[in-house]
Amino acid sequence: MIGSNILLVDDELVFTKNMSKLLNSRGYRVTAVNSGDAAIHELQKQDFDVVVLDLKMPGMDGLTTLKEIKKLDLFTQTLILTGHGSIDSALEAIKLGAYDYLTKPCEIDDLVAKIEGAWEKKDDAARKDMMDKLQKVVESPKSVFDVFPKKK
Amino acid sequence: MAEPATPNGSLNGAEAKKRLKTHYSRLFRRFVLMTMICSIVPLLMVGWAINVFYTRFAEDRAIESFKTQLAHHRTIIELFLKERTTKLTVISQTHRWDQLVEPGRLPHVFELLNKKDGSFTDLGVISDKGNHLAYVGPFDLMDKNYYDQFWFKEVMERGVFISDMFMGFRQVPHFIIAVVRKEGEQKWILRATVDTEVFRSLVESTRVGKTGEVLLVNRDGVFQTSPRFSGKIMEKAPFAIDLPPHQDIKADILKDALDAADRRIPRQIAVHTWLEETPWMLMIRQDYSEALGDVTHANYATLIGLHLSALIILVVTVLVTRHMITVVKRRDLEAEQLNKQYLQASKLAAIGELSAGVAHEINNPLSIILTERQILLDMAQQAPTAMDDGFKEQFHDSMEQISLQIQRCKRITQNLLRFARRTQSLIETVDMNHFVKEIVELMEREARTSGIKFTLDLDEDLPPIQSDPSQLQQVFLNLITNAMDAMDKMPYGAIKITTHSDNAGQAIRVAVADTGSGIRPEHLDKIFDPFFTTKPVGKGTGLGLSICHSIIERLGGTIKVESIPGEGTEFRMTVPLEPPRELQDSLSRG
Repeated sequence: MIGSNILLVDDELVFTKNMSKLLNSRGYRVTAVNSGDAAIHELQKQDFDVVVLDLKMPGMDGLTTLKEIKKLDLFTQTLILTGHGSIDSALEAIKLGAYDYLTKPCEIDDLVAKIEGAWEKKDDAARKDMMDKLQKVVESPKSVFDVFPKKK
Repeated sequence: MAEPATPNGSLNGAEAKKRLKTHYSRLFRRFVLMTMICSIVPLLMVGWAINVFYTRFAEDRAIESFKTQLAHHRTIIELFLKERTTKLTVISQTHRWDQLVEPGRLPHVFELLNKKDGSFTDLGVISDKGNHLAYVGPFDLMDKNYYDQFWFKEVMERGVFISDMFMGFRQVPHFIIAVVRKEGEQKWILRATVDTEVFRSLVESTRVGKTGEVLLVNRDGVFQTSPRFSGKIMEKAPFAIDLPPHQDIKADILKDALDAADRRIPRQIAVHTWLEETPWMLMIRQDYSEALGDVTHANYATLIGLHLSALIILVVTVLVTRHMITVVKRRDLEAEQLNKQYLQASKLAAIGELSAGVAHEINNPLSIILTERQILLDMAQQAPTAMDDGFKEQFHDSMEQISLQIQRCKRITQNLLRFARRTQSLIETVDMNHFVKEIVELMEREARTSGIKFTLDLDEDLPPIQSDPSQLQQVFLNLITNAMDAMDKMPYGAIKITTHSDNAGQAIRVAVADTGSGIRPEHLDKIFDPFFTTKPVGKGTGLGLSICHSIIERLGGTIKVESIPGEGTEFRMTVPLEPPRELQDSLSRG
């Protein structure tokens, strides 16, 4: 969805700069970082709809970053974008909960299509969660504040 | 090992075959030789040693037995002579000569002497002048004078004398025992002739088998009795006499020899000794073969058994070694094939790792180029001033070309990645006929635009298989893409896919045949090698068929190619009903 908040994680500076520009021009709000640590840091600071994550990075690699993202228990969907030979890693990432993967080089339109898909999934998940919580409010005598705790 | 089991790569086939043959022949000979050295030689050595020692032991026992027998026999003969000598001495000492010459007196004494055993032939009283004073016996010797006889002087000197066998006046072989009696100044002799036959019987009373004999010879080597085989009484013995006389019992093993009449005397065991107070040597001898007959037979039996055992060991060794060499040959062949497979696998693995690295390094810059292109396109679209048509056309052409070349690079890197990747196999039930139909459906649109038609000949009774559909899909896509490329410049073509069950019921067979340009015979051997391609530059990476080969092999199948240039190519595959154990194990390990 236009206006979605995207976190782009890749160690290739030129790539993140170019991709940010392209996605921005297509109406997305993009935050680009160049390492897994920086990505986790950004995710703790603000909400993102979709994380576009490279697998092979120095320091914390893509799979470890993904595991850390999952620990944050967010609705944010992760899209794997890899130039690495190992499709196994991409499949592993999907097993760990990534939305999908794309191999580099990929057309911007393909990436946008995947981002849209990821956003929809995130939206569905968030909506479903909201509905579940509302249901709980209706069904239980709990306080609304118990069901929707104040964000720390 | 002195020589490698596999031929050197630089040798041609015939030389390698010859060297291998020589190698195996040498191996065969070494095995047989070693086994013989380690088994037959010790066996024969031990066998022969036992044989030799046992024979010596048996010889010693036989000789000891002969010695005992000889000692016993010597005692008997000596006692016989001593007893007779004593009797004569007693008579001579208890009678005066004039008493003995009285008529009837000497015959009476002679009768008493012979009463028990009759061992004397005659008896005579002889004066110191050698004249017979009295005589009793079967011969007419009364008027004979013995003064010049050899024994007369001997007895007069010694007092008691036992003579050798001699002919004497009676001209028959005989020997005498004589004793001297001295009465005052006068001497006279009592002389008796021992019955030759009785003495011979005594001497030969001990029997020594079929070939044994007892001999009595004097110092001159003349027989004193008639031996059973060696000659006659008074004849010269055909062997040397052990002089000087002694009381020891000596033993000899006499070798084969010829007697005076050129008769063969076989090998013999002989023991001998000298009789006390007589000039005679007593000897017992027997053919060696009889004396040690049982031992010889036992030895022959042992030796035959020994040599038979050695022969059996040799035959068994040869047969076992031959079988072993056959097994070694087979193992060497298998090892060589495994080695080749290992080398191929190592080569592929190394290429795979390299490919993965290269692909990664290329993909990232490609991505950047692609984004740069997209930025340029976006900028062109958003440019405030319109580009003139020529520039615009050239710009878009260039952008399109960049995109095409990036896609081309991507295709190459994807092929490299596909080659390199070790995807997690997923074994599922695959209906090959259905699977083929799906692939064809996928490819049909593209094929139709090139005028290519698919023909399917599917076995309706094809059993389902347990295999990896994604990998199989890769194989079929590669083969069909290749087939379509092979018919690229043709106005039309056909791809025929055939399936049928394997006769053994353990696999299915699938063939993909095209009517394309075919493959040249010299390329057929290399067609599955990585990076080998006959396609024009930029069209193929040379990895497609290599991927097919490694996938099918990994799934436990085989892939072969047949091609006639100008007519087409057929790839024939077998895919097992069940994946190989190694694949299942690797999947179960995760």
